[in-house]
Amino acid sequence: MFKARLGRLVLAGILSTASIGASAATQGSLGATSTGTVSISASVPNRVQLTGVTDVAFANQDPSVAAANAQNVCVWSNTSTRGYNVTATGSGTASAFTLANGALTVPYSVEWAGSSGASSGTALAAGTALTGLTSTATSPTCSSGASSTASLIVKLSSANLMSMQAATTYTGTLTLVVAPE
Amino acid sequence: MRPVATGCPTVHVEAARRCPPAAAVAGRLLLCIGAVAVSWSAPAGAADKVRLSGLADLAFGTIGNLGLDAVRAEDVCMFSNSPTSGYHVTATGTGPGASFELSSGTDALAYDVAWNSTPGQSSGTILLPNVPLTGQTSSATQQTCNSGPATSASLIVILRSTALSSAIAGNYTGTLTLIVGPE
Repeated sequence: MFKARLGRLVLAGILSTASIGASAATQGSLGATSTGTVSISASVPNRVQLTGVTDVAFANQDPSVAAANAQNVCVWSNTSTRGYNVTATGSGTASAFTLANGALTVPYSVEWAGSSGASSGTALAAGTALTGLTSTATSPTCSSGASSTASLIVKLSSANLMSMQAATTYTGTLTLVVAPE
Repeated sequence: MRPVATGCPTVHVEAARRCPPAAAVAGRLLLCIGAVAVSWSAPAGAADKVRLSGLADLAFGTIGNLGLDAVRAEDVCMFSNSPTSGYHVTATGTGPGASFELSSGTDALAYDVAWNSTPGQSSGTILLPNVPLTGQTSSATQQTCNSGPATSASLIVILRSTALSSAIAGNYTGTLTLIVGPE
């Protein structure tokens, strides 16, 4: 059994430094009515948010059967394309996707799908961004609109399960970083 | 008091008791000029004037936290010479139907506008586009607040977190027009 904690919320943003053109305020004159104007400007920077991640636990896994856990998560992006990328890192050596118990380690794989409800997706390489994803979320935590927008899939192959020591708990942490595109 | 003329202006003539009754009759007023009070008053509201000044552009800059309301407030000079120093204020935005919206290309960002007849405030009565907020009173004693209170009202603009978190990233601009009138 291993328990992978995935609850890492990451916000990444690119601040816009572009200036905003605005006309000057105008003042009213004395009269039966008086009219003034004010220019208002605001810059909304690129933002993303990842929520809805939950821990993954494989318990008493039959080594002869590959294990897989898929969960729906919410990724929100406010860019004009609603685009984002995702980068995953594990807690193994050089951010490898491995679980450990002391010196014992076992690798696992991570997949990502840009839609919810998927049981398979694109395999992620540790530390390498999967780009070109698009979110359907309309609120940062999917509190309205789509309740989830992507799928995170964690897999443990039969071969790797067979390499694990019985009655031993392997644990690790998977970190996911999303960024706007 | 008996009005002897109507329209604009209205003239009232009042005869003192010590004058003979006939002295108050038109044509004989000069015979008792020292005992006749003549007053002039304009029709209600006709001469009342207002002036709104001290406005400055409101720049929110880059909104760091889209999960919080962003508020900008400024003190302005609102002058009214009506007998009660009363006034009303009407605001319009540059969104559809004069709505309070900033735009970035085809993207929109709604905002709220509030008014407070006291300066130095960061909250006030929420204005609706094109709907006058009545019953306001100004403390200004000079039309541009060059003397007396330096400012007399607060203009508050609010970017709600709900709007910010649903807005597409971009640089948004818009113009808020304020029209004031005497009361």
